[in-house]
Amino acid sequence: MRTTSRRICQALLLGSMASLAGIANTAPDAPPPAPAKTPFTIGMSQCNLGEPWRVQMNADVKAAAERQPELKVVFKDAQNDTLRQRAHVEEFVGAGVNLIIISPKEAQPLTEPVAKAMKAGIPVIVLDRAVLGDQYTCFIGADNRKIGKAAGEWVVKKFGGKGKVVELKGLMTSTPGQDRNAGFREGIAGSGLEILFEADMKWLEPDARKEMESALARFDKIDVVYAHNDPGAHGAYLAAKAAGREKEICFVGIDALPQEGVAYVAQGLLSATFQYPTGGAEAIDTAMKILKGETVPKKIVLGSRVFTRDNLVKGGDLIN
Amino acid sequence: MIKPTPKWLLSPAGRALAALLLVVALGLVFNADGAFFKLGTHRDTLRQASTYGILACGMTLVIVAGGIDLAVGSVLAVVSVAFSLMTIHGGWSPWLAIPLCLLLGAACGGVSGGLAAWCRVQPFIATLAMMVFARGLAKTISGGMKVSTAVQNTDGTYRYVDVPPVFRAIDSRVLSENLSMVTVIFAVCAIIAWLALSRHRWGRYLQAIGGNEEAARLSGVPVNMAKLAAYMACGLLAAVAGLCQAAQEQQGDPEAGAGYELTAIAMVVIGGTHLMGGRGGILLTLIGTLTIGYLDKILSINAVPESRRLMLTAVIIVAAVLTQRHRRV
Repeated sequence: MRTTSRRICQALLLGSMASLAGIANTAPDAPPPAPAKTPFTIGMSQCNLGEPWRVQMNADVKAAAERQPELKVVFKDAQNDTLRQRAHVEEFVGAGVNLIIISPKEAQPLTEPVAKAMKAGIPVIVLDRAVLGDQYTCFIGADNRKIGKAAGEWVVKKFGGKGKVVELKGLMTSTPGQDRNAGFREGIAGSGLEILFEADMKWLEPDARKEMESALARFDKIDVVYAHNDPGAHGAYLAAKAAGREKEICFVGIDALPQEGVAYVAQGLLSATFQYPTGGAEAIDTAMKILKGETVPKKIVLGSRVFTRDNLVKGGDLIN
Repeated sequence: MIKPTPKWLLSPAGRALAALLLVVALGLVFNADGAFFKLGTHRDTLRQASTYGILACGMTLVIVAGGIDLAVGSVLAVVSVAFSLMTIHGGWSPWLAIPLCLLLGAACGGVSGGLAAWCRVQPFIATLAMMVFARGLAKTISGGMKVSTAVQNTDGTYRYVDVPPVFRAIDSRVLSENLSMVTVIFAVCAIIAWLALSRHRWGRYLQAIGGNEEAARLSGVPVNMAKLAAYMACGLLAAVAGLCQAAQEQQGDPEAGAGYELTAIAMVVIGGTHLMGGRGGILLTLIGTLTIGYLDKILSINAVPESRRLMLTAVIIVAAVLTQRHRRV
């Protein structure tokens, strides 16, 4: 009996482990020092700070906000918990902030809290992931499918329409993974590029390295590696380098964070990286317009840039 | 008339080996156009399994003593971040950075072990707390970002530094490119852990504690000290795995190692070590590590989609455990 109850206890603990691990996600969100005059307060709810890209998004919001002396931003991290993020919105409404910026974890459960904030007269900017319906002020986000397509077209152009491709996919149960996959296929459609090997590396660098080793073991000729994020492309590069084949392969990644993709391109590891912009700066620009009473578009699709060795100095090229 | 089971199959190692052979046989059949027969595939399988294997060696010491350590994945992350900060960003000598990192890992294990031994906190809870704490620590010291060769200047721009030579050394190959250095490190860790568990008095203490803690205490075994040492050794080995992880990724990722503790526990248990303690050994864990490592590789070279990979892994693990189930008449 004792062991049985102990096992049940352990099973329960395993369940709570996930939520406890969420606590570990807490990043220091120190409130910015209050400037002398702050007529506007913005509440910013981030769905999680476990990904460098989202850390960068907060950094971009913070940097843009610091250029506006009359602005104060309060950051909250939902640690990948939908209900916690819902509470954020309610807390911001209760605190009477002037505007809310939310990068929601999921659409459905956060639609209503956002709509309630709007009813309370607080404008809401939705960043990166959407909510349902039209009860928000402005949506700002990038188009993964377009970025994937641009990557595909870039590869077609670079290789004259012929070549053998390894695709290292992000989580295929996530929309960014699906869109980066579908867009790339669209971009290379009709060309002579052939996908030799594809595997789900779940956005993780060690997994990408492992899958690339398998691809290298199977195929003697690989021209291009297209990875759904830069750490994936970097992992593939390390696998190819270990096999002495990194010179004959062109590595393409997505995200172009300054300390990841752009750094890898600068160091000559990746041939290209396609930016998935955070929209942090645009969110603050739009927020200022809303707060000053100007009208803003309902939807802003962020432009993306491609970074290669040649255009790095001038800050990449815009993708159409 | 049932044939008597061959004698070699009755020993725990024999049964574990049968499971490994089962998996390797799968590889011979599903060889992905001959990729399984290439030497490089096996070298890469071993490289991939080494980090997990190092964790599993430490885990074996703790599990044999009737405990569990859930913190190894997080400790790996803390150490990989700390090691990267010291060597990539700080430019410290590896002769200073490596001992400090090992000390850090052992200290993390020591805290869990101390809580479990003297404060009578259940190992599950104590190490669960350490798992959460260490993950937070990794995120704190890294500022939530990966510690890579792109170093941020005070004005927000980035400068690029070289990958430290110690990273290249750990991620190199020996025996004319046929064996990864991390596999050698794994082998050294396994040998030391094996000597400690099977040839040293401390190992017998751990087995006695895992078998019956009260009886061990009454027979004069220094239970608390032996337990503390087991958790410290586990933390130390997690630190070694962290060094290997950082070197292979050429960066310190505060998110590294998430879920690795479960893989390490699976390797220990598939080898045949009892999860309740008392019985088990490093040799078994070694076989368990190879079983999971090869399974992973075979699914990977055949480019099995993730969804089916998860289900197949579960089925094969159950099949492997069933082949080595203890048959009592």
